[in-house]
Amino acid sequence: MTDLKRNLIGLSLIVFSIGSIYLLNDEGPTRIFINLMAFAGIYAISAIGLNIHFGWTGLINFGHAAFMGVGAYTTILLIPHAAGREGSINEEGLPLFLAILIGLVASAIFGLIIGLPAIRLRGDYLAIVTIASSEIFRLVVRDQEDLTGGVYGVISFSDVFQDIRPKFLEDLSLRLDVSVGQLWVATFSWIMVILLVFLLKRLQNSPWGRALRAVREDEDAVRALGKNAVWLKLQSFMLGASIAGLSGILLAFNYGTLQVEMFVPLLTFYIWAIMILGGVGSISGPIFGSILFWAFISETDQLASLIFENADGQQIAGVRFMLVGVLIIALMILRPSGIMGKKEELLLDVK
Amino acid sequence: MLDQLGNGLLLGIIISVASVALSLLYGVTRIVNFAHGEIIALGAIMASFFSNLPTSRYIFLENTSPLGLSFELSLALSIMICGIFGALLELCVFRPLRRNDFGNIAVLVITIGISIFLRHLYLIFASSKPQDYPLDLQRRQQYFIFDLTPRDFKIIVYGILIMVIFGLFISFTSIGKQMRAVRDSTELANISGINSDRIILYTWILSSMLAGTAGIFQGMINDVRWNMGFLILLLVFAGTVLGGIGTSFGAMVGGFIIGIVVQVSVALPFMEGHAEAKNAIALAIMIFILLIRPQGIFGIKERIS
Repeated sequence: MTDLKRNLIGLSLIVFSIGSIYLLNDEGPTRIFINLMAFAGIYAISAIGLNIHFGWTGLINFGHAAFMGVGAYTTILLIPHAAGREGSINEEGLPLFLAILIGLVASAIFGLIIGLPAIRLRGDYLAIVTIASSEIFRLVVRDQEDLTGGVYGVISFSDVFQDIRPKFLEDLSLRLDVSVGQLWVATFSWIMVILLVFLLKRLQNSPWGRALRAVREDEDAVRALGKNAVWLKLQSFMLGASIAGLSGILLAFNYGTLQVEMFVPLLTFYIWAIMILGGVGSISGPIFGSILFWAFISETDQLASLIFENADGQQIAGVRFMLVGVLIIALMILRPSGIMGKKEELLLDVK
Repeated sequence: MLDQLGNGLLLGIIISVASVALSLLYGVTRIVNFAHGEIIALGAIMASFFSNLPTSRYIFLENTSPLGLSFELSLALSIMICGIFGALLELCVFRPLRRNDFGNIAVLVITIGISIFLRHLYLIFASSKPQDYPLDLQRRQQYFIFDLTPRDFKIIVYGILIMVIFGLFISFTSIGKQMRAVRDSTELANISGINSDRIILYTWILSSMLAGTAGIFQGMINDVRWNMGFLILLLVFAGTVLGGIGTSFGAMVGGFIIGIVVQVSVALPFMEGHAEAKNAIALAIMIFILLIRPQGIFGIKERIS
């Protein structure tokens, strides 16, 4: 299949799934659509990061949620916010973009800390170590209530982000009858997605990008050519982690609140599903995967109400996640290279 | 501290039984089974479904009452269902995958899909409310140096008994020996006339029954929840890895150590007020062990890096 054909298939799937949202929802389809695009953009960023780990370098990272969490917590705690049981307000803070920058660096450093020891382990061990690290992160954040707000979370931090919102979005949101805050998050996320795609297109064909893929294909050959394979893997871990950090920050702004339960292992598996659906190793894959995944998620509510007469929140969530499970199983069996991926670039054997 | 030691012993038994099951499966099939936790939960939830009285407040699948069978019968049925479920998993999913030469990572991701699917099936089946078994409340007594209820003591005795029987089974019976042969080398086992497909099927059944038993123990000590499997899974991984993944004896000891460490760490001075984070210590120990001795305490050195 040529790239053009892949793109066409991906695009038509997206048009179909977005069309179905407008057809199936009578009330406020645009609001559902903007909500979907906000989440899709944020998750696409995260999947792009994971794709650098797994798709490019062949590192099996099951702790992606923690990388998102480190970025989110670092940035949000540096800007004005209210945290904890009392909701004590902290009015002082760094400028937003400086805080975001520090958040990204923190994610990269966290990636380095996890990666440094874990990188020498074989694939399935790396999977266990990364998921365990992400759970340690979650448990520690939950525990350190003084610093992170613990189970009470962090609130009232969105203002600085909404302050930099362009004025024309307000008119647009009135006309579309959607929340202007979410419209801005969605717009900002997709600008970031486009920037990242351009950046990664350049990186992919740079000597560095080629060396990374060489690590995936044959680490010994890379060593024989005098490249430092371990350092390359660590760089990949750090780059992917800091992209994940960006998506974590945006996720917090999208929810308007920062809760530790946002970063459960299930989030990591969501990102994995998106990466596989879009195509492992492909740069634009996560974009397709993310939109399709969220369209799929938002249609499951209707499905739940078909099965149960009065579906409650539990049953809707249950049906939705069961379908995510089925999606992962079906994709791995039927089309492990996803929509945009190339089979020959897929690494599924333990090295 | 001594209180916690008793609790640690209990948790240790549960993790130990579950770790042995996970380790056996990994040894024979090389599958890192993320759905293991869900098989643990299956045992616990089915036991609750069978044993609770129809008049109890628990409702399954919107409108079905529990069956109200005797507790012993419920245990036997639940463990059998786990075994059958393990067999179905092998026959319907993992054997076809093996036939088609699916890579280890693909299979690992599929077990994650199965785990997510099953966990939320349980959410719909058993709802998110914690459940208890219809057992009477018991007073704690002194056993040697531990404060335990008679039921806790029974669980420890049965747990040790199960592992002794498992050890004898794997060491001396024909099927046990064949399992070890397939674990060491599938090709060599096949050449020497072992039907490795059949042995792998038996392994799935045995592993799932052990997991279900661990789940029922966990349900008897704490409670039954739809997501209990995932909550305990990482501790089971920790126990397995600590002892050496693929080794039965190692997994037993590793599980014990993890269980005791988790519970005793609550009593440590620097953990005061941080009881919620106790699992983090067990996970940190696992990572540490992987770094300094990746093959685990009892594992044999092989290429894992």
